[in-house]
Amino acid sequence: MRRRAYRTDLAGLLVLAALGWEGWGGQTPRLVVTDDANRAVSLAHPARRIVSLSPATTELLFALGAGDRVVGRTTWCDYPAEATLVPSVGDGLNPNIEAIAARRPDLVVLYRSTLDLRAAQQLLQLDIPALVLKQDRLEDLARAAQLISRLTDDTMAGDSIARVMLATARTPASALGISIAFVTWDNPPIVIGRDSYLDQLASLAGARNVFHDMAAASSIVSLETIAVRDPDILVTIADSAERHPEPPAYVRAPAWQAIRAVREHRFVVLGGSLFGHPSPRADSAVRELRQMLRGAR
Amino acid sequence: MDRPLILDLQGVAYRYPRASANAVQDFSLEQGSGDFTAVLGPNGSGKTTLVRLALGVVSPDAGTVRVLDRPAHAWARRDLARVLAVMPQREDNLFPQRVRETVLLGRYPHLSLWGNGSDVDRAAVDRALSRCDVDRLADRSIWSLSGGEYQRVRLARALAQEPKLLVLDEPTSSLDVRHEMELFELLRALVDAQGLSVLLITHHVNLAARYADRLVLLAGGRLVAIGAAEHVLTTERLEAVFEWPVRIERIEGRPQMIPLRAASTPGKDR
Amino acid sequence: MKWLGLGGVAVLALVLSVALGPTHVPLGALATSDIVRSIRLPRGVLAFLVGGALGVSGAALQAIVRNPLADPFLLGLSGGAGLGAVLAIAAHATGGWAVPIAALAGALLAMGLVYRIGLVGGAELDPRVLILGGVAVGAFAGALTTAIVSLANAVELRNAMLWLWGGFGSASWSSVWVVCAYLPLPLVALFAAARPLDLLALGEDPARYLGADVARVKRQVYLAASLLTAVAVSVSGIIGFVGLIVPHAMRAVWGRTHRALFPAAFLGGGVLVTLADTLARTVVAPRELPVGIVTALIGVPAFALLMRQWTAR
Repeated sequence: MRRRAYRTDLAGLLVLAALGWEGWGGQTPRLVVTDDANRAVSLAHPARRIVSLSPATTELLFALGAGDRVVGRTTWCDYPAEATLVPSVGDGLNPNIEAIAARRPDLVVLYRSTLDLRAAQQLLQLDIPALVLKQDRLEDLARAAQLISRLTDDTMAGDSIARVMLATARTPASALGISIAFVTWDNPPIVIGRDSYLDQLASLAGARNVFHDMAAASSIVSLETIAVRDPDILVTIADSAERHPEPPAYVRAPAWQAIRAVREHRFVVLGGSLFGHPSPRADSAVRELRQMLRGAR
Repeated sequence: MDRPLILDLQGVAYRYPRASANAVQDFSLEQGSGDFTAVLGPNGSGKTTLVRLALGVVSPDAGTVRVLDRPAHAWARRDLARVLAVMPQREDNLFPQRVRETVLLGRYPHLSLWGNGSDVDRAAVDRALSRCDVDRLADRSIWSLSGGEYQRVRLARALAQEPKLLVLDEPTSSLDVRHEMELFELLRALVDAQGLSVLLITHHVNLAARYADRLVLLAGGRLVAIGAAEHVLTTERLEAVFEWPVRIERIEGRPQMIPLRAASTPGKDR
Repeated sequence: MKWLGLGGVAVLALVLSVALGPTHVPLGALATSDIVRSIRLPRGVLAFLVGGALGVSGAALQAIVRNPLADPFLLGLSGGAGLGAVLAIAAHATGGWAVPIAALAGALLAMGLVYRIGLVGGAELDPRVLILGGVAVGAFAGALTTAIVSLANAVELRNAMLWLWGGFGSASWSSVWVVCAYLPLPLVALFAAARPLDLLALGEDPARYLGADVARVKRQVYLAASLLTAVAVSVSGIIGFVGLIVPHAMRAVWGRTHRALFPAAFLGGGVLVTLADTLARTVVAPRELPVGIVTALIGVPAFALLMRQWTAR
C-alpha cells in the first residue's frame, strides 16, 4: 500500500513537472482509479489530451462529451465522423510509442492485451499515464465509461452512459427461437464463441449462438462441426459499409453446401462498426440484429 | 598399326575457365584393345583432366578426341558408357548399400528406361564379381569393407559395364602394399585374359613400369615421353619431371625409379 | 510383403479419416452421410494426395542435393506461396480459388528465382547453391509477407497466417480433382529419373561416367519436386516435416533404390498427413488444430530420434 502511494506521488509530481514546471509542491493527486490490469492510474488534473487506442474507447470518449479532448486515435477508429478529424497514431495493437508521445498526451487509453501491457510499461517510463481497459462486452465498457469519466472529472456523464449500457446488457429481448453461427473466415473456418461482443449481441437479440459452449472468442472448427450444429442462419461480417452487403464468395463452394443454412441461403451480413465493438449504440445494434434475423428466417 | 582404335586423342589442349595456363597442351595418344597404358606425372600435370577429356565431359579447346572413330562429344552419354568405363579417384559413399546393388549400378548403360534388370544383367554382375574376386562379399554392406575390398568392388562395377576400355584414376592411392599389388595383378590378368584395354593413371611409377606395356609421362600438361618403360624412364627425364634426384635400378627386367636422399648430388649414378 | 503392409496402413488411414471426426457419425450411416461424402471423404483423399506429393518431393530433393537433411521447404517455395496468399487476401481477391492460385503463382515464381540462382555457377544446377538460394529467397519472401501483414488489418491477416500453418479446412471434391490432374506429370518425371538418381548418390562425375545425363536429371528432378511442393502448399498451406521425415523412414525399410523408394514415400507421406489431419480434427474437438502444427509436433521428436541414430553410426 505504501509503495503504491509513493509511486503515485512520484507520478503525480512528474506529471506536474512535465506540464511545465509549475512548482515542486507536494500536491496530492486528485484523480485516482484502478484499471483492468490492476494498476493505479492517477492524474493531478482532469485529462485534457487523451490518446485513445481502440475504436470502442474513441467512440466512448465522444459519447462522454470529451471528444474535443481526444488528440490521437488509431487508423481504425472511424466513429463518430468527427473522430476521423483527429490525427491517427497508427495501430492500436502493438502501438507506436513515438507517435503517441508526439501528441503530448496526459492520458493514453489502451485495450487489455499482452502486447498493450508492454506498451503501458513503456508509456510509464515516459511518464505518460496509461489506462488499460478490458473491452470485450458491454459490462466492460460500462466500467470503462466510469473509469474514464473519473479521470476527465465528469463522473455524471460516465455514470449515465454506464447505466444505459448496463440496462441494455441486462434486458435481453424475448427468445426468437433462432440458432445462429458467426463465421468470420473460411480457410480455415473460424467461428465466434462466448467471450465476445457478437455472442452477447446474439443473446440480447433473443438468438442462440450454436458455439456459445466454446469459451474462446474465436476458434477454428471443421465444416462438419458447423453442419452438425445446424444453425438456422449463418452470420458473417463484412468489411465494407455497404447498406446491403452480399454474403461472401466462399459460401458457394461445394463443401459448404453440407450446411443447411448455406443450402437454404439463410445469411445475415453485418457491416460497419456498429457490431464490431461494444458501444453506447448497443441497443440499436441489438435491434438491428434482431430485425435482420427475423427477416432471414 | 591397323588395329581399330578405341580412344584417339590428337593434339588436344584444354584450359579450365579462369585459369592462367593450359591444363593439357598438345597431347596425343592412341589406345587400342589389349593395350595396358599407364599415365604418370607429378600433381597438377593434367592427368585427371585427361580423363575428363577422354570421356567427353569437357570439350578440348584444340585438337580432337575420338572414341571408336567418332568424336567424343557426338556420343550419347549412355552409349559411351558401354564403351568406356571409369573408376574415378573419388566417389561419394553416403549410403550403406549392398555390394551386389552397387555393382548393379554399373549395368545402367545397358538397361532400358522402363524395364527392370534382366538375367543378362544379373549374369554380367556375377561375372564381374567373380573376376574381381569379391563374389563372397556380394551380400555385405559396402560400409563394412576394407579399403582394398572396396576398390575391388568399384572395379567390379566398372567391369559390369562390359566396356572395351577401362580408365582408372589413381585407384591405389590409399591402399596398402598387399591390396595395391593385388589390384595391379588383377588388371594385368584382365588385360591378358580378355584383351581388355586399360588406361591407368597412377603415382606409382615403379608398379606401372612392371605391369603396364606402355608408359606416358606428363609434365605441365605436355607429353614428355611415351613408349616402353626402358625408353621413358631415364634419369635425366625423371629428374626433370619430378624435380628430385633419382637412380634407375632394374627389377624383374624392368627399370625402377629410386628417389635419392637429399645428401646425394643429382646426376651421379652410384 | 512390405508393400501389402504399407498399402494396408494407407487404407486404414483413409478409413480412419472418414470414420473419425469432431462430430459423431454412426458407423452404419457412414456410406450415406452427407457430411462424410462432401466433407470428410474429399478431405481425407486430399490430405493423402498432398502428403504423398510432399513425401516424394522430399525424397527426390534429398537425392539431388545429396543431403539427407533436405526438406522441400528449404527451396523457398513456402515463402513464395505465403507471399502470394497474403497478397491475395490483402487485395480482397474474391472467389474460392483466388488464394490457392495466388499461392501457386508465388511458389512458382520463387521456384524460377531459385533455379536462376542455382545456375549462377555455370550451365548446370549446383545443388549447394540451390539450397542457399532457396533459404535466401524464402527469407526474403517471408520478410515481405510480414511487412504486409503488419501494415494491414490485423484480424484479416492473422487469419491468413492461420492458413499458412496448414490445413484442409476448405477441402472439396473440386480441389481433389484439380490436384489429381496436376500430380501425374511431375510424378512420372520423377519416376523416370529414379535410376539416374541412384547413380547420383556416387557423385556427379561418377554418375556421368556411368552414363547418366546429370545436367538434365538435376533440372528435371528440381522442377518436378518443386511443382509437387508448390501444388501441395497452394492447396493446404505449409505442412512441414513430411518431406524430411518420410523419406528417412521409408529408406530404413525399402533401401535407397529410388524406383522403390518413390512409391513408398508417396504412400508413407499420405499416411502421415492423413493421420495428422485426423488428429488435428479430433484431439481438441470441436476446435481444430492447424495440420502443420500436428506434423511439427510429431516431426520434431521423430527428427531428434533420427539424428541420434545418424550420429551413432
